[in-house]
Amino acid sequence: MSALSTIAAGRQAEEGVQVAQVPHGTLRRALRLLGVSRRQVAASITVGTLALGSAIALAAVSAWLIARASQMPPVMTLSVAAVAVRTFGISRGVLRYVERLISHDLALRGMTTLRTTVYARLADGKAEAVLRVRRGDLLARVGADVDAVGDLVVRGLVPAGVALALGIGTSIAMGLFWPPAGLALALCLVVAGVVAPALTSRGVRTAESRASDARARMTATALGILDDAGPLAVAGRTDAELAGLARQDARIAAAVDAGARPTALAAGLGVLAQGVAVLVALVTGIPAVRSGLLAPVELAVVVLTPLAAFEATSVLPMAAVQVQRSRAAAARILALLDSTGTPDTGAVVVDEQAPSAPVSHVPLPRPLVAQSLACGWSDGPAVLTEVDLELTVGRSLAVVGPSGVGKTTLLLTLAGLLPPKDGQVLLAGVPMSDLPRPDVVRTVVATTEDAHVFGTTVLENLRVARGDVTPEQAHLALARVGLGDWVAQLPDGLDTLLGPDARTVSGGERRRLLLARALLADSPLLLLDEPGEHLDPASADRLVADLLRDHEGRGVLVVTHRLAPLAAADEVLWIEDGRVAARGTHDELLARVPGYAAAAHQERTDGEEAE
Amino acid sequence: MKPLDPKLLTYARAARGYLVLTVTTGLVTAGLVVTQALLLGRTLGGAVHDGLDLNGAATAITWLVVVVAARFLVTTVQERFAHRAATAAVNELREQVVEHGTRLGPRWLAGGEGPALVTLATRGLDALQPYFVNYLPQLVLAATLTPATLLVVLSFDWLSAVIITVTIPLVPIFMILVGKLTQGRSEKGLAAMERLGSQVLDLIAGLPTLRALGRQAGPVRRVQELGDAHRRATMGTLRIAFLSGMVLELLTTISVALVAVTIGFRLVYGDVDLVTALTVLVLAPEVFNPLRAVGTQYHASTDGVAAAEAAFTILETPVPPRGQTPCPDLRRARVRLDGVGVRSSGGWTPQGLDLELAPGTVTALVGRSGIGKSTAVDVVLGLLGPDAGAVTVVPEHGTPVDLREIDPRSYWDQVSWLPQRPFLEPGTVHELVGDVDPVARDRAAALTGLDQVVAGLPDGWQTALGTGGTGLSVGQRQRVALTRALLTPAPLVVLDEPTAHLDASGEQVVLDTVGALREAGSAVLLVAHRASLVRTADVVVQVRAGADDEAPADSPDVVARASTDDDAARLV
Repeated sequence: MSALSTIAAGRQAEEGVQVAQVPHGTLRRALRLLGVSRRQVAASITVGTLALGSAIALAAVSAWLIARASQMPPVMTLSVAAVAVRTFGISRGVLRYVERLISHDLALRGMTTLRTTVYARLADGKAEAVLRVRRGDLLARVGADVDAVGDLVVRGLVPAGVALALGIGTSIAMGLFWPPAGLALALCLVVAGVVAPALTSRGVRTAESRASDARARMTATALGILDDAGPLAVAGRTDAELAGLARQDARIAAAVDAGARPTALAAGLGVLAQGVAVLVALVTGIPAVRSGLLAPVELAVVVLTPLAAFEATSVLPMAAVQVQRSRAAAARILALLDSTGTPDTGAVVVDEQAPSAPVSHVPLPRPLVAQSLACGWSDGPAVLTEVDLELTVGRSLAVVGPSGVGKTTLLLTLAGLLPPKDGQVLLAGVPMSDLPRPDVVRTVVATTEDAHVFGTTVLENLRVARGDVTPEQAHLALARVGLGDWVAQLPDGLDTLLGPDARTVSGGERRRLLLARALLADSPLLLLDEPGEHLDPASADRLVADLLRDHEGRGVLVVTHRLAPLAAADEVLWIEDGRVAARGTHDELLARVPGYAAAAHQERTDGEEAE
Repeated sequence: MKPLDPKLLTYARAARGYLVLTVTTGLVTAGLVVTQALLLGRTLGGAVHDGLDLNGAATAITWLVVVVAARFLVTTVQERFAHRAATAAVNELREQVVEHGTRLGPRWLAGGEGPALVTLATRGLDALQPYFVNYLPQLVLAATLTPATLLVVLSFDWLSAVIITVTIPLVPIFMILVGKLTQGRSEKGLAAMERLGSQVLDLIAGLPTLRALGRQAGPVRRVQELGDAHRRATMGTLRIAFLSGMVLELLTTISVALVAVTIGFRLVYGDVDLVTALTVLVLAPEVFNPLRAVGTQYHASTDGVAAAEAAFTILETPVPPRGQTPCPDLRRARVRLDGVGVRSSGGWTPQGLDLELAPGTVTALVGRSGIGKSTAVDVVLGLLGPDAGAVTVVPEHGTPVDLREIDPRSYWDQVSWLPQRPFLEPGTVHELVGDVDPVARDRAAALTGLDQVVAGLPDGWQTALGTGGTGLSVGQRQRVALTRALLTPAPLVVLDEPTAHLDASGEQVVLDTVGALREAGSAVLLVAHRASLVRTADVVVQVRAGADDEAPADSPDVVARASTDDDAARLV
């Protein structure tokens, strides 16, 4: 059959989670999250059984009809069988169609439930769980992995259930005619439906585990050759690299070959089992007919029925592969869900009348205070320590330092999206972790570098920050960040649809759109991450200076790596070597801190050169 | 789209042997299936009708055992080699596509079809696996088993053969009809499906943003609604898509049922005998089985066929011919560009570029980004042929040779190139810088600042680095590459923005290296942004772009020898 090939096809090496690492009970947990009802699964299996059962019944009744007809009975005695044969001929196709629709509907419902559950738990759980996952990975978990778990129903559960029901039914039916034939059929079905899938499963596992490393290296080598084609050619290394590619390919081939042995044996066993079932029925049946234990007509039935009885088991090797794949996908999804720290309560049911979370109002003024704050990711070291700062309404702060010193991490911690490693963040005197999240967000809003632009209109994208933004307010905010001309030349203005994740806008436009969104939020305190990124230095500096100077009665904290616009800030925090190395106004720092002055000088010279 | 493209056999040699094997097993399978039906029909007919006993049936049963064993063997062998051949064929195509890609050159790879080639080589071609393993054998069986069984049926009972023969063409006709009738609807359905699917993913991708703004709770219901809408759209499409499968199954099963009923009634009247009837009954489904399998595997195969066609398109893209003339010794020859222009989407970048690279001279290319400096470097290196003008190598004594006629290997052997993102082959740091005397090595490393990098590595000079210099930052890799350039001075050294990833101290390293290379008599070509670099150059060349129809400007490219800081700053 086709097991190995489909698993090998299109599978990315990094997704090759070793089956051995998947914890027990993974599938059961994942199935529970799909929320598929037993009744619906049973319905699909029943219809599927009737469909394939029609094919077996067609074979059995045809055999009976022909054997009986050869005894030249009155035609009337055959009419019921003749009608039955035609009926089975039609019902097989129709019922199979119905079964496919039922099982696919079931699987799609399960996928929706699982996706909703994943979303709900990511939304409720620890913010870090979402921030940690790379965007591509998140989409893979929610996209392809959820599909793979859903496929378990269509390609794993239902075929297995149908094969089991039919196997038992056919074996019993044949056993009623002639017990040895029924027994032989049952044993052969076990070989085709249990042993063969197990072998296939082993083959696929072997191939996967041996090939995954070679596949990753092959991909890296091929990418390297194509990315660096020029340098490799000039350095005379192209042939050596191509030979390296061929070596990795040979390793993949060896791994697939190793897995092909059990898989091929499994395919052969399927054919062998069918042949043996027919042979046993024939060899035991002929003497039984002679001794009168079996009617001659029945001999034709018990010998010919097995020819049709193996259709259900023939798809089981593929089903075994699907189960493995679904398990690996389920393990990845469950790991993501577990990282949110939310309780595993099974499938989430969306409450139609979900009350909005109660909002208590934190009184004004609401200073955001960091005390001896250390910040970093939970499983990493603290990247910044001993940070003290106070952001109040009407003040502007700038956090500045070379890239990679942890400025963004600080911003996420101040926004309450990462827990502090040490020290605390207080909002209106209360530790942020003790406040309900809605209260925090009503006071402090952070915009991050990688914030998402939704695949909807410009206006709706701005309304993500606040649901009641009017077109006028939207225009004002866009003009403030220098996007006035941009929105004016869009075909539908504010109602222009943006592509998913804003692939249709440039980096600078995207950045400023996100900034406009943050400015429209209700919150009195704004934390802005590199608002001038992707802009040319002059425009970036103008924008940052404007944000720091004119903040409309709000408190603004800007994280940036450029120093030029910081004269507009009330206070500048200069980050160096994992701590706040100096603080004060721009002019004070220029006079007092040699490192700061040097950086400012370097920035100026580079700027002149760039012009 | 052809079900079996002959080109596949041309490009993938593994596919040839495999096709022979598959046709052989197909023919053998056809023979075995027919033999099994004949033996079963005879034995069973005898036992049911004529009271045949086990002794009388012994020969036939023995042969049946042989047939069953042989079918087991044939199936196992076919499957065993299908995977091997498929992997070999995919690998062959991959290696050819990648090799052809390198011969088409970096510019082609960076262009429109380049990224598609990467996807094809790393993942796309794997779709051929199911094509080879599942689809091709069934296709071959449809061409062997189906006609063979039909002929046997015909030889036994012409009426059954007629029923089957009438059905066979109905299968494709009905499937095409269903396909045509439903095409528009299912395309619309597919589009709706994709849109809804991407909307759900969009919401989930935006979850961190929604959280940061405190608006994550609302969309839970939206995710579910979109999921439900997606399900309805999908089911609408599937209802139609599964129709063709139903037609296929209906036609084939009804045909078998009709054969059984017709032959049954004729038995009653004694028109046919039982052996014939049983043989035909066993054979009738076998006629259709390969057709049904081809139908169900069809979709799996289309991706593979598409991938193969994409590969053929790439492999048939013509490669510029390689020169044969050995390159003159660059230690005593100059590389000259006369009026070089390269056509790009926006016009000419660069346009009308004249420059001369002479031993012991440092030449700097300047100009704003996107004007074609790196393109000019590709032209100098012979990786890209100019669309206008010429590149020649001018020996001290003798006639100039066009770079196109020069064997690239003999040219590149004399060139050392430091691209913006230096590539390092696997090896220890010591090997990477040229495996030279440690004293010279340490002196060079002190100059380039590599000594500090090495001091931070776990095994010092013996630290093994992976492909691409994994574990080193771009700046560190640049120092390795600079040290190598210094230790094994090539007659022509090309440095593309060597200070891009370096701070002030790193920049000094580059300046010192360039000075040392000039001392050693190399011709150095710099692509420069920073004034400090431009200052070190003996000759500064301004790169210019031009509109499509613009005549080449005739003002000199070689602007000046930048002697003062002001000049340098003005030029950049």
